[in-house]
Amino acid sequence: MLKRTPAAWALMSPPALALVAFFVVPLILMAAFSLRPDIRGGLFTLAWRPTLEHYRTIVEGEVYLPLLWTSVRVAFGVAFFATLLAYPVAYFLVFRARQRGPLFLTLLILPFWTSYLLRIISWKIILGSNGLINSLLEYTGLVDEPVRLLLHSRLAVIVTLVYVWLPFVALPIYAALQRINRSLLEAAAILGAPPWLSFVRVTLPLSLPGVLAGFLMVFIPTVGEYVTPLLVGGSRGRLYGNTIETYFGDGNNWPLGSAMALIMLVGVLALVAIVARLVNLRRFVE
Amino acid sequence: MGKPGTPDLPRPIASQMEETMWTKRNRRYSATAMLFVIALILSACGGATPTTAPPQPTAPPPQPTEPPQPTQPPPPTEPPEPTAAPAELSVLEWAFYEVPEMWVEFGEAHPEVEVTFNFGASNPDIYAKTLAGSGEDIVHFYTPDLQFYVDEGLIQPIDTSKITHWDEIPAGFQESCTIEGVVYCVPWDWGFSSILYRTDKVPEGIDSWAAMFDERYAGHISMYDDATSVVPVTAHMLGYDERNLTDEQLEEIKQLWIEQRDLNLFYWVDEPTLEEGFTSGDIWLAFAWNGAYYRLLSAGVPVAYADPTEGRESWTGLYAISATTENYDLALEFLDGKLGEQTATHLLVDYAYGHVNPSFYEVVEDPNLVEALALDDPSILERTNFTVPISAEERDRWVQMWAEVQAAP
Repeated sequence: MLKRTPAAWALMSPPALALVAFFVVPLILMAAFSLRPDIRGGLFTLAWRPTLEHYRTIVEGEVYLPLLWTSVRVAFGVAFFATLLAYPVAYFLVFRARQRGPLFLTLLILPFWTSYLLRIISWKIILGSNGLINSLLEYTGLVDEPVRLLLHSRLAVIVTLVYVWLPFVALPIYAALQRINRSLLEAAAILGAPPWLSFVRVTLPLSLPGVLAGFLMVFIPTVGEYVTPLLVGGSRGRLYGNTIETYFGDGNNWPLGSAMALIMLVGVLALVAIVARLVNLRRFVE
Repeated sequence: MGKPGTPDLPRPIASQMEETMWTKRNRRYSATAMLFVIALILSACGGATPTTAPPQPTAPPPQPTEPPQPTQPPPPTEPPEPTAAPAELSVLEWAFYEVPEMWVEFGEAHPEVEVTFNFGASNPDIYAKTLAGSGEDIVHFYTPDLQFYVDEGLIQPIDTSKITHWDEIPAGFQESCTIEGVVYCVPWDWGFSSILYRTDKVPEGIDSWAAMFDERYAGHISMYDDATSVVPVTAHMLGYDERNLTDEQLEEIKQLWIEQRDLNLFYWVDEPTLEEGFTSGDIWLAFAWNGAYYRLLSAGVPVAYADPTEGRESWTGLYAISATTENYDLALEFLDGKLGEQTATHLLVDYAYGHVNPSFYEVVEDPNLVEALALDDPSILERTNFTVPISAEERDRWVQMWAEVQAAP
């Protein structure tokens, strides 16, 4: 336990204040905005009557909740595939790369030192109708006309996001695998477990906290993702985050946008709570 | 990305093992790993910056066709002698309109005034900034936003008797600044919205806005992602009055666009993306401004700009004076200067956008520009549907309709 000394207070208060000022207060403001009928009369005026109209619009509307559900499924798919691809990478880095591990790790995250937008736009070059894949398909004579659905589709959104998040998932798994006591693996071998069994019974269970951390690290932000759909999603690839952005941006309808954002927040929290319950997080943590 | 409160699950296990199990080598590795995590988070934060500032959907952006050519020496920016108290004038403006070529007359008449610019990225952005009390003397926005500014009391009436060029402005443009007989702004720049198409892909030509919904062009159409552009054009196509749309009419418009989504490749938000689509041949036809037409034409892309039977749409840039300004007379002079010949010429020639004062159109010699602004055929302008001011309630309805089109399952 932390001792409540003056020094501890002095050290803790700046981050605590920052947290309150930049996370708690905006959340409260957003909740307040979601109850305003509209933003006419100025942003910070108090002359308005609270209304649940926007929540009704969202719940009774035909599009909002289905879109949120779509976003949740897309986020789940992205997190799942990113984790699936990242696990072997992390496993290789820890158990096979030996002293070259850090070097490979650097190579893995090197693309992250370029702009996020740049990495998305480079996928446009790969997936576009004059892009790498289509050029190859046309060259080999497999198709006569460029396959247009590679870009400007929900598939493009998923492919791009899996790529973008891959190192993010690999890192927690890497950290988790590294903390596995090698003598446990030795013990498994001595007791006659073949390598696959010691992986299933020892390595995998011990790395699950890392897997789960990586999965959630991708899943949570992806539910609200909107830049990638905007750039590669086309007319049918929009996600819930795009609609929120519309209401905060061009729409000048902050109240409806706030209500949408809060519903998403509560929905994701509930979902994560259920998942945490199902996989019994405490078993790993304690 | 990198959200606060990300579950940091592995740590307890680590601390448990730390004392007993870790070998020296592991320690070294984990220190390296920690470094990488920090580096990753740092770079991810850097990468996240564009996430919070995405390419804003832009209403008519003043994209220059080429860097403005300073044919006139820029007016002196510093007052020659500090004889009087230094005056200042501030403008909430779109990027590229701050260069001295865009306010030549005022710069020459008032070298002692320091003109400062603050920028907005789109109509909604500029409106939000003004609403939040940004405080500039002058604000530049586009039809149909005028009504919001008037309703919120953000701007004040214009004394047109002090605008020497006022009578040279065609009545249609004057009306775009008039609400219930009161003039609230000075119109300045304008352009068309119509269907731009590839003549090689659409050899039959286009004579109606209905082409945006034509299945023959499936996968090659692009609509502008903006409710205040979508609704008027669809209303005109269906023969409705966009100022008095019933719920049923708006619902009909919504259904049309929901069905159109399968034909639409993407909704464009910035002109470069749209122009790239035309150049590559992905896009055959799109809702577009005449600036894009001019640039593609000049680049040798086989394009034409439709003259639909329902009429082209037109947008107008408006300058208004803040309700709280202390420089009202100076602001009026600034706006009057905007209507002068030198500034008008620069707008036409440097940026390829229309100027409301038609007396200077002769200076345009570039045939592509003449074509893009339809200067050779005044009848096009006569049939054009000028964007009318709408109320904030109306705007909210439109935006919600358009958002639901894109969100529809």
